[in-house]
Amino acid sequence: MSLVGKTAIAGIGATEFSKESGRSELQLAAEACLDAIRDAGLKPSDVDGLVTFAADANAEIAVQRELGIPELRFFSRVEYGGGAACGTVAHAAMAVATGQADVVVCYRAFNERSGHRFGQANRSARVDSTGLEFSWHLPYGFATPAAWVAMQARRYMHEYGATSEDFGRVAVAMRRHAATNPKAWFHQRPITLAEHQESRWIVDPLHLLDCCQESDGGVAIVVTSVERARDLPNPPVVINAAAQGTGPDQMMMFSYYSGDLAALPAMGNVGRRLWEQSGLTPADVQTAILYDHFTPFVLIQLEELGFCGHGEARDFIKDGGIEIDGRLPVNPHGGQLGEAYIHGMNGIAEGVRQVRGTAVNQVRDVRNVLVTAGTGVPTSGLVLGVS
Amino acid sequence: MTGVHDATGVHDRLQALAAELAEVGERAGAPCLDPVNGAMIRNWTQALGDTGDWAEVAPPAMIQVWSMPGLVAQKGASAADEILRLLNESGYTGVVATNCEQTYDRYVKVGEQLRSTMRFGELVGPKKTAMGEGYFVTWYQSWYDENDQRVAEMLFRVLKFQPRKRSGAKSKGGPIKPAIGLDTAFYWDGAKEGELRIQCCADCGALRHPPGPMCPKCHSVKRDHVVASGRGEVHSYVVHHHPPVPGKTPPYVVAVIDLDEGVRVVGNVNGCAPEDVSIGMPVQVVFERVDDDLTLPQWIPADAPVEAPEAAAEEPPADLEIPLTPTFVIATALATRDFTPVHHDTELARAQGTKDIFLNILTSIGLVQRAALQAEPGAVLESISVRLGVPAYAGDTLRVHTERVDATTLKVRGAVSLGDHVTATVRIKESEPPVGGRPPTPPAAPEERLRRQGGAR
Repeated sequence: MSLVGKTAIAGIGATEFSKESGRSELQLAAEACLDAIRDAGLKPSDVDGLVTFAADANAEIAVQRELGIPELRFFSRVEYGGGAACGTVAHAAMAVATGQADVVVCYRAFNERSGHRFGQANRSARVDSTGLEFSWHLPYGFATPAAWVAMQARRYMHEYGATSEDFGRVAVAMRRHAATNPKAWFHQRPITLAEHQESRWIVDPLHLLDCCQESDGGVAIVVTSVERARDLPNPPVVINAAAQGTGPDQMMMFSYYSGDLAALPAMGNVGRRLWEQSGLTPADVQTAILYDHFTPFVLIQLEELGFCGHGEARDFIKDGGIEIDGRLPVNPHGGQLGEAYIHGMNGIAEGVRQVRGTAVNQVRDVRNVLVTAGTGVPTSGLVLGVS
Repeated sequence: MTGVHDATGVHDRLQALAAELAEVGERAGAPCLDPVNGAMIRNWTQALGDTGDWAEVAPPAMIQVWSMPGLVAQKGASAADEILRLLNESGYTGVVATNCEQTYDRYVKVGEQLRSTMRFGELVGPKKTAMGEGYFVTWYQSWYDENDQRVAEMLFRVLKFQPRKRSGAKSKGGPIKPAIGLDTAFYWDGAKEGELRIQCCADCGALRHPPGPMCPKCHSVKRDHVVASGRGEVHSYVVHHHPPVPGKTPPYVVAVIDLDEGVRVVGNVNGCAPEDVSIGMPVQVVFERVDDDLTLPQWIPADAPVEAPEAAAEEPPADLEIPLTPTFVIATALATRDFTPVHHDTELARAQGTKDIFLNILTSIGLVQRAALQAEPGAVLESISVRLGVPAYAGDTLRVHTERVDATTLKVRGAVSLGDHVTATVRIKESEPPVGGRPPTPPAAPEERLRRQGGAR
């Protein structure tokens, strides 16, 4: 039994992306879900499943009440921060493929800039397994995602000779894409590599422009069966693979205690599943949506997903290799560095638009899109394609 | 709080006022209430631990004492009061004394009645300083004898600054506390005892960090630990700059350390500049006690001295070491007729935001004189120029180093745990026969360790 090819994304929705939404996170969630349901040509009463992130502040039943959904048959939450993004769609696809639900909406909504900011010092120190993991790090002032990623980035530079400029090329590419995306926060604000190099240190070796922005907003994705999707207004975007994964000795963002710091084994695991399930290879995708909370992990993802060998990403991305006209356009919407940081969900929406052929920075002849979720944490991924 | 709406306007008004004050020139200063007398000299020498012979002349560094008002409600005016007031009103509310220079035309004799004058010096600014943007204000006080001959002059300079808005970057309080559970308590208990403990399976012997309840290799739940050697090398590291993190002052280094035992741990690398940290660098553990409940294993370069990585270790022995007991701080303040409460009232000093009562400037200059005459017994001092640094709080120790620069110049530096308290240049008159300050008669005050600096010429 497999979910491959049985389910599709029929609708996508979002609020505006801002630095201060001025409304509650629940309102953002309800607005994004309603937008996605309408995009799918459905009504809230058609929805019988809801999935979100474990980190989301809006309970499925709260969203159900706001939307007036009569009853749910399926609800689920996916753990591990931004690593959950594609996992929500994987859960929804499993529920639909197994008949547990007909129409599942995946959502993520937060005031991540005007409310609780993930980039600030983390103070979690509960006596549970996660709190104990953090406790090996927080007392040392090792308390922010940028710092946790920087630790792996330094080792990656050491092992492969990558430089800060190599990381900067990712930022330059994302800002180039965002510059022509009217929904992007950094619309019409491209940057140069020199500007990247001159931006202040956040956690050396990461400059400010290696770090994604912080945003307020919400995104929702409607998953249903391919058959039902065919009767709906948008062309079905078929879920050809969906996977979650961890690596050996996995920790939240501190998998430093064994193995290779210059790698992301959880993403390697997810990548292998995605290629296996879809029967595709990296050469078969026309564009990739790679989770870009911090630039170095875009390079390591390219390697873990098989687009190039270990340590070779800096050659892969140079000369605009991941820009819209490059060998593999990555994040044509501008990613989280350029468009908005909605915990990876806005990337899934972009993957859908690229397959539909409706993106503002449309890649030509898109048949398959790879989408990944947050890295450094247990992660997830999708392969979306035309039907 | 900057509060300067019209910076140009303020600057112009300050300049105009400074010109006005300069025009006024010298005027009568604080009265000298008593003639130069043996009782006040004795109070002063006893309080400062000065063992010189001052039977006929007063210690030169006492000059300002003769015109101090004593315990009175209204302090005498200074030549710069109006400027200081305007600076306060313009947002330059912070004040710190930066320089005090005394020039002695001659030593004053017991029995002489002095008078003092004052004059405004100059206003320099605005300048960007470590404290914030500010103006340096300088004024002078002079002392004359009954024949209107000048006997001494003093330059006094303060920095009036706009206290900087706290950036938030400075750490407040201690570090984030770890959650400690049944499976991890042994590690933190070990740190308190100065041990870096690594979990070890009691059945198969596998080492593991971070620890957990079940051995992932043999699935035994029987646990033990070994005490690590505390040696390792940097596997990777970061330098944290932003955002602010509780208990930490950026930039600071966090590293993954490969222990010699084959497991990795995370900690800060201290004891060297962030730019001196590198992958592969050998490090050794030290234990940072945060409070009674928490000690953090930390890391320093393997070749660094374990006990005292700070500069104090390299310092040659002090020529004069003065324990700053509350009695010392209070007695010297009163012996210099300085009744400002921050020098004798602990509670009030703390209420004003300082750590404790602290040494007054007149005493600091007196101690510079004492150190200079200890190094050059019998010398006649021409001047003492003091640059003021960190406060010397009660409970600290003042360590004074004296260094000869040339035949007539000494450098005197007095340091406390916070850093340099005074750095002074002392000039000696060349050809006059000694008239006072003859060699101290040992033994010195019993609580002090005196060491003559030999062969420094």
